[in-house]
Formats: sequence, structure tokens, C-alpha cells
Amino acid sequence: MKSQNERRRTFLCISIPILLLFFGFNTLPLIKGFIYSFTNFRGYGSYDWVGWRNYVDLFTDSRVGNSYWFTFKLAIVATILINVVSLIMALALNAKIKFKSFFRGVYFIPNILGALVVGYIFSYIFTYILPAITHAASMLADRNWAWVAIVIVCAWQSVAMSTLIYISGLQTVPEDVYEAASLDGATGWKLFRHITFPLIMPFVTINTVLCMKNSLMVFDQIMALTKGGPAQSTESISFLIYNNGMNGGQFGFQSANAVIFFIVIVVISVLQLKFLNKREEQL
Amino acid sequence: MAGLSLQHIWKKYPNGYVAVKDFNLEIADKEFIIFVGPSGCGKSTTLRMVAGLEDISEGTLKIGDRVVNDVESKDRDIAMVFQNYALYPHMTIYDNMAFALKLKNTPKDEIDKAVREAARILELEKVLDRRPSQLSGGQRQRVAMGRAIVRNPQVFLMDEPLSNLDAKLRVQMRAEIAKLHDRLGATIIYVTHDQTEAMTLGTRIVVMKDGIMQQVDSPTNLYNKPNNLFVAGFIGSPQMNFFEADFDGANLVASGVKFEIPAEKASVLKEKGYTGKKVVAGVRPENVYDSSKEALCKLTAPFSAKVTVFELLGSEVQLYFDFAGASMSAKVGQDSRAAVGDTVSFAFDEDKIHVFDKETEQAIVH
Repeated sequence: MKSQNERRRTFLCISIPILLLFFGFNTLPLIKGFIYSFTNFRGYGSYDWVGWRNYVDLFTDSRVGNSYWFTFKLAIVATILINVVSLIMALALNAKIKFKSFFRGVYFIPNILGALVVGYIFSYIFTYILPAITHAASMLADRNWAWVAIVIVCAWQSVAMSTLIYISGLQTVPEDVYEAASLDGATGWKLFRHITFPLIMPFVTINTVLCMKNSLMVFDQIMALTKGGPAQSTESISFLIYNNGMNGGQFGFQSANAVIFFIVIVVISVLQLKFLNKREEQL
Repeated sequence: MAGLSLQHIWKKYPNGYVAVKDFNLEIADKEFIIFVGPSGCGKSTTLRMVAGLEDISEGTLKIGDRVVNDVESKDRDIAMVFQNYALYPHMTIYDNMAFALKLKNTPKDEIDKAVREAARILELEKVLDRRPSQLSGGQRQRVAMGRAIVRNPQVFLMDEPLSNLDAKLRVQMRAEIAKLHDRLGATIIYVTHDQTEAMTLGTRIVVMKDGIMQQVDSPTNLYNKPNNLFVAGFIGSPQMNFFEADFDGANLVASGVKFEIPAEKASVLKEKGYTGKKVVAGVRPENVYDSSKEALCKLTAPFSAKVTVFELLGSEVQLYFDFAGASMSAKVGQDSRAAVGDTVSFAFDEDKIHVFDKETEQAIVH
């Protein structure tokens, strides 16, 4: 009986501080943000209740609409690009090649660099090095191409983790299944299509959901590369929420945007999981 | 179906390890050949070289009349059953069996016919729409066989296909495989470390050790006329008893006991110059007699030994005892009254004493 009480005390001693911290820094701001989304709070001074007006206005605000369009365009393209490139890289790094461990280490480096650091490095490349080579204006200054630059940077950094996940996925496929398939006549593309890809489907699900979620929340790269420009063409939802919420006097309005964005990400992730889980097979 | 020819096959790995050394074997069409030996003896490596899953370092491999050293696995017209079955977990049983034919762009009705025929033979008709994870071990094993059958290959390769099954199912599947061989008239190469499987299934058995082929022979010959100490010890369960003895020109002498051997055997030993030399004598446990077992053969002089272990195996009793510095066993009658610690009088069947060279370990006379 005594030991049960001691265990209970230890449990409470460990969990209560964490719960308090989590509530203080996560749940409380979430609730406060939700409350502010029903106000015209500008980030300072007094405010009034405006009911659902912020939410209604979100759907008519062209800047919000543009940010959603840009964010989704970037997220979809980046997710596809990251998954295709990382799968190819994983297949290469899982093959019987020399210096495999060395290459795996090298290709993981982008993941350990901060997004802002990577962003500033690429900003330099896009602003000075590429124009010097191509004799064209910087991609970052062109409203039609700036988003491509951001996709490239996001992909460059995210490929590392996705590759790692795919490599671990490839290692779960038993060698004798490959051997049986090769005896059955499956080699090259046929082997990948009929055997490898279906068997690493759980890892495709993980990578797709993670990439999509991370890309939808793109912020650091935009901060470092374009600050939403040129002409607000690369303004992601997160960037808009931060920029206009903190500096533009739209704290209440952008809080409503954040609430909607939160719901959108949850819905997309759940839908992706449901869709992709159907295609998964357990070994 | 086709025969195979393995000529001076070697497998050398880049780190210098030699897994298979100068392997020579002619396998006739429709033959059921078994590769048997302890772990690491090179039997699976040899099979994998035949399958094309391992490169052949040296030598020539022919399937039928065609040299296939550099032919890809899929073009060798072989099918393989793996130890872990290697079924495609994401496909139904039907698709698992149909996969090879689909890749060959075989017409759908032909695929259907072949799959359903194989399923009928293997009693898998009711599980064709299930996934491998929904089947028992025995059913999975049959699916693996079915996948091979559907392809109607020239040669079937089986790499310890029964080792993951429980003892009862293994016996059952062993009989199924034997029936399948009769029905298909297929050329089969079967790898196992289980000598019971080897003895019951094979038309010929290849015994291997350290990458070297020790003996290729029929099960009966392997049992009765083993080439060397290794084969004599490996084939048979419990294994053959061995003890050192001196050959005095007519008898084998061990621990002061003179064991008469037939005159023909003695003359062979004499001719080969073993008189006065040490040899290794070998006697199978069933050729060791005590008073409980009626001998219809000529027995050697009796010797006494203390029973160390008594095992009742149902129809017979296994007695273990020490003699001439070696641990030995005897299969005796169910009525044996021996108990652990008893001193029992044993004798050997004179005709069934095998004699081996102590240095080369090769058989001198059986």
C-alpha cells in the first residue's frame, strides 16, 4: 500500500510541472488566441467583441486568399518534389555502393542546419551567384519565380529527413522477397512498382503527411529569402499571421486566420492518413 | 524439365573466404537431389549460385544444355522455395502465385488455369483471396510451393523449406513434397540440414562440409557405406559410435577387448598395411546388442560398460555408455532391464563394423 502511494506521489511530482508548463505555454495561448479571434484586438490597447466577423472577413480578404493559394501551391509541389527526390536518394543510398555510411552522413547535413541559416545561404546564391551565372535577374525578385526558389530551399532541407525515413523503410523489406521477385522476373522498374513501393507504403504515408504539414507551415525560409515579396507573392499563411498579426495591427483578425489554419492542417493530415492507410500493407 | 551440370564450381568472396570448393555434380532430369550438411558448409550458397542469386567465381553451370553462368535469375527457368517462404505480403495468395506469369504477359485465362490447378493440387482453393499474413505456417509453405509450380520451371530449388514448421507439420509436408515430385516429375534440388528429410526425400544426397563435397550417393549407400568419418557421423540419428582400435592382423582391439571382424574385412586391412596400426572403428547404435535384443547376426566378443543414460523411445530403448574413451549409444529392445549405473554386457554386429583411417579419416572397409 505504501509503495503504491509512493508511486502515485512520484507520478504526480513528475507530471504536474510538465502539465503546468504545457498548459501555460501551449494550451493557454491557444485558448487566448481563440478568444482574441472574436475581437478586434490590434495587439495593444483596448478591444471589442466582434463575434464571427473576423471569420466572415477571412473569406473575403484577397490577401488571405492569396496566401492560402501560395501556401497550398508550395506545399503540394514541395511534398511531391521532396518525396520523389528522397525516395530516389534512399534507393541509391540503400544500394550496395562504396562509402554508403559516409554518403548517408553527408546527405543528412542539411537537416541539422537551421532553416534561417539555410535560407540566408540560398538567398546569397539566388541573389548573387545564380544571376552572375545566368545573367538574369534574381529569382527572388521575380514574382513568378520567387515561389520556386522557396520550394527549392524547402526541398533541399527536407529531403534529408525524408531520405532517412525511406532508407529505414527500405530496410524493412526482407531480402528474400526481393530475391523471390527477381526469380519471378521482376527487375528494375517492375521490381520497384510491384514490390518495393507497395511494401514501403507506411513510410510514404509518414513522409507525405510530415512534408505536407511542414510545408503548409513554411515560415523561416520566407523570412530569410523574400519576407513575403515581391508584391506579397510569397506570403505564406504563417508569415501573414505573424506579419500582420504582430506588426499590422490585425491581432484579432489573424488569430481567426490561425484558428482556421489549424483546422485546415488537422483536416488535411487526417484525410491524408485515412487515404494513405488504405494503401498500406503490413509485412 | 531438365538436368543440371555443375562443373568445378567455386565460390570465393572478396574478403578471401571460400564458401564452395570445386563442386562437381551431374544431376539427371527428374532427379530429387538433396544438399545436406551442417551450417556454413556451402549448401545454400551452391543452391543460390544455381538460382543466380550469387555469382559463380569459377566453373561452369549448365541447365539442360545451356551454360547459365551469366544468365539472370529470371531467365534461367527455375523456381525457388525459400526458407521463410518470401511471399509478397501485399498481394493475395492468387496474386502471389500469378505474379511471375503476369510479368511474362501470359494471357489471363492461362494464368487463371495455372493458378487454380496449383491451388487444387496444394489444397489452397479456399484461401486464394487471402493475404499471406492470414495463413498458417503450413499454408504459407504450400503457397510458396504453389508459386513455384505455377511457373512450370525446368528446375525447382528448395532452400530448407520445412525448417520453419513444427515437427508434426514437417513430417506431413515432407510426404506432400515427395508426392509432388512424383506427380510433377520435376528436377528438384533441395537444401536441408535435417538428415531425416535428406534420407526420406532424396534420390541422391550430396553431403557437404566446409564447402567441400564429401560424398554423393543414394540414401542407402550413404548410410551403409559412408566415405569418411564425417559422413558416417552426420548421417544417422543417433550418430554412429566411433572408437579407436588397434588392428592385430585379424581383430580390432580396444580397451583390451578383441573384436572379431569378418575375414574379408581383415584381409583388406592387411593388404592396405594397417596391421599393427591404430584405426577408427565405427558401429551404428542399432548394431550394438545387449541381452534384450535378439541377434540374428554374428556378434563380436561381449564387453561390459556402465549405462550413463537410459532413454525410453516407445518401441525401443536408447542406452548411453562409455567405452574405449568414447561416449557410445545402443538401440536396444523395449524389454531392456538396464538402468542408469548398471553394468551391461554389449556386443557388436561383426558385419556392421566400419573401419576408418585415423589420419585421413577416410573409410577403409565397411
